[in-house]
Amino acid sequence: MLLFLQSVVNGILLGGIYAACSAGFCLAFGVMGVVNLSHGDFVMLGAFITYWLFFLSGLDPFLTLPLTLIALFLLGFFLQKLTINRLVGSPPIMSYLLTFGLHLVLSNLALRAWTADYRTLSTSYSGLNLDFHGLIIPYSRLTTFAVAMGVTLGLYLLLYRTEIGRAIRATAQDREMARLMGVKIFRIYILTFALATGITGLAGSLISSTFVIYPQMGLPFTVIAFCVVVLGGMGYVPGTLWGGIILGVLESLTTTYLTAGLSLALTFFLLLLMLIIRPGGILGKGIVE
Amino acid sequence: MREVKSQGMNKRIYLVISINFALFLFLSSPLESLGAERPLRFGFPVPLTGAFGKDGALVKDAYLFWKETVNARGGIEIRGKRYPVELIFYDDKSDPPTSAKLTEKLITEDRVDLLLGGFGSSQVIAASAVSERFRYPMTSGAASTLKLFDRGFKYYFSLLGKAPEEVRGCVEILPTLNPRPGTAAIIGANIPFCADAADGFKVYAEKVGVRIVHFELFPMALTDYNSLLNKVKEKRPDVLLVGSHSLVAMRTMKSLKEIDFSPKGVFFSYGPTVPDFIESLGKEAEYAFAASEWTPNLPYRDDVFGRARDFNNQYLKRFGRAPDFVEAASVAGALIQQQAVQELGITPPLKDRDREKIMQFLYSKRFDNFYGPIRFAPDGANEIHPPVVVQVQGGKLVHVFPMETAEGKPVYPMRPWKAR
Amino acid sequence: MFRPQFRFRNLVFATLAVGIILVILPFLGLEGYRLRLLSLVFMWAALSGCWNMMCGYSGYIDFGPVAYFGVGSYCTAILMIKGGLPFFFSVFLAGCVCAGLSLAVGFSTLRLQGAYFAIATFAAAEGLKQVVLEWDRVAGFEFFGGAHGLTFPAPPTEIYFYYFMLFLMGLTVGLTALLERSKFGYGLRAIREAEQAAELSGVPTLKIKIRAYVLSSSLIGCIGGVEAYWLTYIIPDDVFNVLRTIQMVIMALLGGMGTVLGPVIGACFLTLISEYLGAKFVYDYLTLVGVVIVIVILLMPRGIMGTILQSKRGQKS
Repeated sequence: MLLFLQSVVNGILLGGIYAACSAGFCLAFGVMGVVNLSHGDFVMLGAFITYWLFFLSGLDPFLTLPLTLIALFLLGFFLQKLTINRLVGSPPIMSYLLTFGLHLVLSNLALRAWTADYRTLSTSYSGLNLDFHGLIIPYSRLTTFAVAMGVTLGLYLLLYRTEIGRAIRATAQDREMARLMGVKIFRIYILTFALATGITGLAGSLISSTFVIYPQMGLPFTVIAFCVVVLGGMGYVPGTLWGGIILGVLESLTTTYLTAGLSLALTFFLLLLMLIIRPGGILGKGIVE
Repeated sequence: MREVKSQGMNKRIYLVISINFALFLFLSSPLESLGAERPLRFGFPVPLTGAFGKDGALVKDAYLFWKETVNARGGIEIRGKRYPVELIFYDDKSDPPTSAKLTEKLITEDRVDLLLGGFGSSQVIAASAVSERFRYPMTSGAASTLKLFDRGFKYYFSLLGKAPEEVRGCVEILPTLNPRPGTAAIIGANIPFCADAADGFKVYAEKVGVRIVHFELFPMALTDYNSLLNKVKEKRPDVLLVGSHSLVAMRTMKSLKEIDFSPKGVFFSYGPTVPDFIESLGKEAEYAFAASEWTPNLPYRDDVFGRARDFNNQYLKRFGRAPDFVEAASVAGALIQQQAVQELGITPPLKDRDREKIMQFLYSKRFDNFYGPIRFAPDGANEIHPPVVVQVQGGKLVHVFPMETAEGKPVYPMRPWKAR
Repeated sequence: MFRPQFRFRNLVFATLAVGIILVILPFLGLEGYRLRLLSLVFMWAALSGCWNMMCGYSGYIDFGPVAYFGVGSYCTAILMIKGGLPFFFSVFLAGCVCAGLSLAVGFSTLRLQGAYFAIATFAAAEGLKQVVLEWDRVAGFEFFGGAHGLTFPAPPTEIYFYYFMLFLMGLTVGLTALLERSKFGYGLRAIREAEQAAELSGVPTLKIKIRAYVLSSSLIGCIGGVEAYWLTYIIPDDVFNVLRTIQMVIMALLGGMGTVLGPVIGACFLTLISEYLGAKFVYDYLTLVGVVIVIVILLMPRGIMGTILQSKRGQKS
């Protein structure tokens, strides 16, 4: 029984991480229809910024969160303004390829700057865990989970309770209509993408003490984002939390009771199945074209 | 006013341009350098980017170090004259077909005299298939999967033992530990070298009477090991044996700490000997065991580098880090080819017949250098190089097994995470 | 209104000219590394061409074609190694297996739109890779060879593969040219431009999409089979690698999607600049490739061929 519970808890905590790392991807797709293939690289950059701040000045990873948020917000801002915005109205494949080009540039510049060395970040409290009647709950993952929930909540509030959020949603729903209503589309897009990358960078910082950091760590996170948002519903931001947790728990249970290899295979087939029978995500609130 | 061209004209012009462009790139080739004493050209493909970019860079540095050491004396002395060493290498991006392609390029375009092995079982398998076809001996110090040896190749020489042999030490040490471990769990990444290592662990564990409570291979793409290791933790093995590369080893240690799983010993087939491991993990790296084939304290020596310890110190001075055994093995491979051309009196440029003689020479006798004893079995494996076990103690790698050459005792059981 | 790219007669004439040159090149002294390089270009042109055949014309972006490459490789390997069947027959059978598989996959995924189709095909490919990787250990008997992969017996010399790949490239280009001018091709393009309208006016969209998908996938499978024998060594991580898909797509993009020669040009261009840059800028060339992609997308979204065609069309009007 304990094994089962531990597996579920592991899965939920992992799911929180997945959700945090995928919310930005969901937002970008939901509002702009952009499938950002360089998404994982923002996780990577966030993790590296935190790593270097910690390594050079001893700054605690959690304290670096606002810094990474701002830094990657700015990066996304300029990227969207200079490149992706120009693809508004073009067929979607253009955005796939452009963002893939960005992925090549970002990950290889990182490789050049920081070499392929694997790095880990160990604080005085990393690896410490809460022992709850035999259930081991690592503090760092618990905190990441809490922050992920917070971020999702924050994003939700932003989108549904603020003026700017309304503008973003309007643009997502019907670009031409929003434009007619006076919304400055291109600015909204820039803001949205910047927000997406900022949050993703923040997620990168969150995981910096849990995962090994290296320049090519981004691609797996892009793939995870695909899976999470399909499960949760493309474009439906609160859905990433569900999607992430379901994915995490599924992976965890399959690894525990079957094998780790099968858990990956199952994840992909589940993804395929979801797309075929329920493309709107578990709750059906995703965008279905 | 735009010129109006007809459809056909435009196309023909375009075709002409593109063919010309292609031919131009094709036919532009580097001019042969006509120097006084023609250098001895060694070539190798090596991963500098991709999954093994980190490890490949180590091998490249190793060959560089050899070249610099040799060229500092003017080059390799053959029949009274000195021939400088020239290295040509390309990035194979951790991709086996690229490794094969680059090997062919080195042979046919760059016309290297001899080849050296890169890094990574899959890449080396692909590259050596090409070197075999062109009959270029290839000495490799960074690949040991079984498949390398069962192809009936004559031109492939491995400085390392076969993967299961490499990890033999990690299992043979078990009966000497106190309290003697009775059970073991074996995991490994599902890529050639790591899978072979895991299989090797299994075979030898059964031989020394250790019961295997769990055996599992996991995809390299797995990023989170917590659930996997938790499953293993439930089975309460005395020791954990891991078929690993650097990344797998680092992830394992981090995960073990997070889920508070402290087996009495953790043994890695590869990882802890790479400097990053200790540097990055710091205290979390303590007590990890690793398979190795060479440590600086071993009593080996040769005329080029001196003792094993000298090689270690000079390398440390040059690169700011101590060499791990893969780097030492790679250099040993280059050294052997050097020895071959010297003893056979072969001068560049080499002809096919020369390389055939080198190949036969390499099988003909035992070699000894700072890396240790080397003798190639008919399948290319180094059959007399004893595997050793090292352990991370106090931030350093300590040679703990076999006893005859050990420089310290193993710390077993390892201190549980909560007690550190 | 769509016109075929070139007058057919001109196209045939030009192709024959180029084809003859390529066929006799080995006899003019092309050998060794350069021969291999050109063979690679042919292979990528063929692969990219197959992808273009389906996606360039229909607008459905497939992110999983490498699945068929892998399936084709493994089928050929297993048939030849374990079944002892001759090479050509194995490749043909591999193509048939891919046809069957793609029929199943296509039937379920081609109803999806845009990004969903892309992700679904990607998921199918990755899932398949994992299955091949895990199968042996789970099923308990040696079939795919797991992570160790499969090894072929000794292959014929390089020059055979030069001609095999040249043939495959020619086949792909020829099929694309025929397709473009046929009713089938019009149907595909109608799907790309306005699927719903096409559906309403009686075009059997699903059937057309599936047909294109199956054709393209079977060919990709055959190419995979030939490459497997060429390399003599296949592992899942290599033949099911998503980077192959990306390369196919990029080549089609650079050369011009929805054009006959686009993939060929894209393949030449990308392979040659990778070679050149890769040799000179060992550490930076991937970054440069990324920059090239970004620039091309922003400034020449129709690719080399597409831009040329567009400017010509502009001139005529």
